[in-house]
Amino acid sequence: MNYQQTLLIGTILTIIFLISVIIKTKMDLKYGAIWILWGFVMLVLSLYPRLIDIGSRILGISLPVNTIFLVFIFLLYLISFYIFVMISKMRREIKSLTYRLAVLQKKVEEKENA
Amino acid sequence: MKTLIIVPAYNEEQNIPSLVEILKQFSYDYIIINDCSTDKTEQLLDEERLNHLDLPNNIGLAGVTQIGFRYAVENGYDGVVVIDGDGQHPPKYIESLLDKLYEGYDYVIGSRYVTNKKPWSLRMIGSRLICAAIAFKTRHKVTDPTSGMRAIGKRVLEDFVQNMNYVAEPDALCHVILKGCKVCEVQVKMHERSSGTSYFVNPFRSILFMYNVMISILLFQW
Repeated sequence: MNYQQTLLIGTILTIIFLISVIIKTKMDLKYGAIWILWGFVMLVLSLYPRLIDIGSRILGISLPVNTIFLVFIFLLYLISFYIFVMISKMRREIKSLTYRLAVLQKKVEEKENA
Repeated sequence: MKTLIIVPAYNEEQNIPSLVEILKQFSYDYIIINDCSTDKTEQLLDEERLNHLDLPNNIGLAGVTQIGFRYAVENGYDGVVVIDGDGQHPPKYIESLLDKLYEGYDYVIGSRYVTNKKPWSLRMIGSRLICAAIAFKTRHKVTDPTSGMRAIGKRVLEDFVQNMNYVAEPDALCHVILKGCKVCEVQVKMHERSSGTSYFVNPFRSILFMYNVMISILLFQW
């Protein structure tokens, strides 16, 4: 097996794994679709590894492997930022849910005591 | 057969009163679901004593309709009709959707293009792509997969309450067809929204929507 075949088989297995887990765990498909996009990017890169060389030349990086590190670490950086954005949105939503629940409980208790 | 009209509403203070007026004329059971509007929708619903739910958070159209389905199932309804709160869907067509539901269909779509020709606008090219994906997956031809105006029977409702993991209407439709439910389309005429702004004015959102829906239909619905 040459390295391209290894990459290709690995990528296809990864995509199948992603799809089956997303379906099985009923992951929110909006987020699932992001990971499928990553899978596609890896698929294209393993089909045309020369794209990495071309990208290195455009970015002015002499070692292609550094391009992979740079691009993928940057993408991971963006994704983790996105996760932080989602976490703070959820915290805000939990806060407003908690408030609503507390107000409702107060109303019920006041009615019971009246 | 007990049926409920579900009206998702987000910032629709100007459109709700006239819509409810018509719904009351037909004496339908209805529920307006206020998706945490930032305008005076909530006060309006309270003051007019309209049957409604106020959501504490904005959860988006798909989540709102799911809450409506759950409400319908838990309150013993046998079918629902979803009608947007923005006045796009004229309530006079509810009757024809319900007729099909009585005939035994599980999922009736109010389609703009059963008898009318579909234009070639950018939006409708997207719609054609979705149609092609659904036809590829299910061997079933639909004309208006993105239509939000739908009548849904009890069988599909219970399934949706259990697991509604969809991006939007088209992949839910695909799921329903793949489950072997009887789906049909009824010609309706939709209005331009009478006030407020559409979700799809932003081109980035449209592309994201298309991508999510296509991935969902092609890879996640089996």
